[in-house]
Amino acid sequence: MGQKNSEQTDEEIARLVQSGDIDLFGILVKRYEEKIKRYGRKFLSNFQDIEDIVQEIFIKAYKNIRSFDVRKKFPPWIYRIAHNEFVNAIRKESKSPLSFFDPDTLFPHPVSKENTDKQIGKEEFEQAINKCLDRLDPKYREPIVLYFFEDLSYKEIAEILHIPIGTVSVRLKRGKKIIRSIYQKSDYQI
Amino acid sequence: MNENQKKSSFSERVLKRIKSEKVKMRPRIYFVLRGVFIALSIVFVAFFILYLVSFIFFIFRISGIWYLPRLGLPGFGMLFVSSPWILILIAMLLIVILEILVKRFSFAYRRPILYSILVIIVIIFLGSFIIVKTPLHSGFFWKARENQLPVIGTFYRQYEMPGPSDAHRGIISEITDEGFCIEQPNGQAIDVIIVSDTRLPGNEEFNEGDAVIVLGKQINETIKASGIIKADSEFKEFIRYRGPRPLRPIPSR
Repeated sequence: MGQKNSEQTDEEIARLVQSGDIDLFGILVKRYEEKIKRYGRKFLSNFQDIEDIVQEIFIKAYKNIRSFDVRKKFPPWIYRIAHNEFVNAIRKESKSPLSFFDPDTLFPHPVSKENTDKQIGKEEFEQAINKCLDRLDPKYREPIVLYFFEDLSYKEIAEILHIPIGTVSVRLKRGKKIIRSIYQKSDYQI
Repeated sequence: MNENQKKSSFSERVLKRIKSEKVKMRPRIYFVLRGVFIALSIVFVAFFILYLVSFIFFIFRISGIWYLPRLGLPGFGMLFVSSPWILILIAMLLIVILEILVKRFSFAYRRPILYSILVIIVIIFLGSFIIVKTPLHSGFFWKARENQLPVIGTFYRQYEMPGPSDAHRGIISEITDEGFCIEQPNGQAIDVIIVSDTRLPGNEEFNEGDAVIVLGKQINETIKASGIIKADSEFKEFIRYRGPRPLRPIPSR
């Protein structure tokens, strides 16, 4: 069973879980545990109880698995649940709650090419991100984490955050600019 | 503990929690019904906005403030002052609620808010223009006057005459040497004096039976008009009768 299941796609396993095979849900948990924990650690850099939140994410995913459309990709669906839980955690902790309205989503923005900025100085930039991430506004921090650490595309990030692709592009651009300025003020060079 | 054991223990903990707390998967019907509920909420809010905005257009017409911009800048000022702002603010708030509901669907959140808001506003305005051309509001209006419309009848009666205090609506009953005499909806007659600086958009001629909106301060039973606008026949029907709905002529065969 183990061999067979390891060859199955996330979507096929999700379909079997939907029809009542609870134990197969464990495979999905194993596949996404590290990814979601890494996403949480980077996005909620000041939080201690990431593991509890991640456990809650998988419980919610199990409860709502029948809302997953097996014809679509599984990662954006599970990351969307994780996003909601992480945002809720930030709202609970933060004295100034996250705003419902974001002016970046109001107007159309041009979408920059994806791969170029990933390749140029990727390693150095990731180091810079690691040092400055906790000083970045969550609305810029999240797309940066999803793009640089989770290797998701603009389209997938847009689906997870429920925002237009142009907004993803603009947030990444601004986030990188802020990181550069924080980094330069700290007398580092990237 | 190696990486695989760690992973197993976490996934086992999750599965153990699911089993021990008897966590249940929500049935598919739950998500279907939730989708239906959101869709119905969107339809309900959209229809309510259509009704409200078309009602605003309707009271703009029957109160005469629709015609005020014809007098240029002062007319726009009066239009601004006498607009039913509470209703307009409620309509704007409902449009925001509609936008929030619509944003739950991928066709909306994949695009900038500006696009979905513009689409909503265009649909609401076009729909309201169509509704205001139908007998819906005029039918309710006459029923409200006859006290045959419960609940919303109050709205129609309340907003019947919200026009500015210096705007007087009436029908020309007599042409005089200095101007004309109008009969207001409450039956009161007023003499209107036209002077050289009276604004007359379109330089229209006035005849007995014309529906007009006269701007100017009323002193006793006379108004020295600062502006006069001739209105259309539909407006005339609303200001002529204070009583029941007029009988419509039987079409000749």
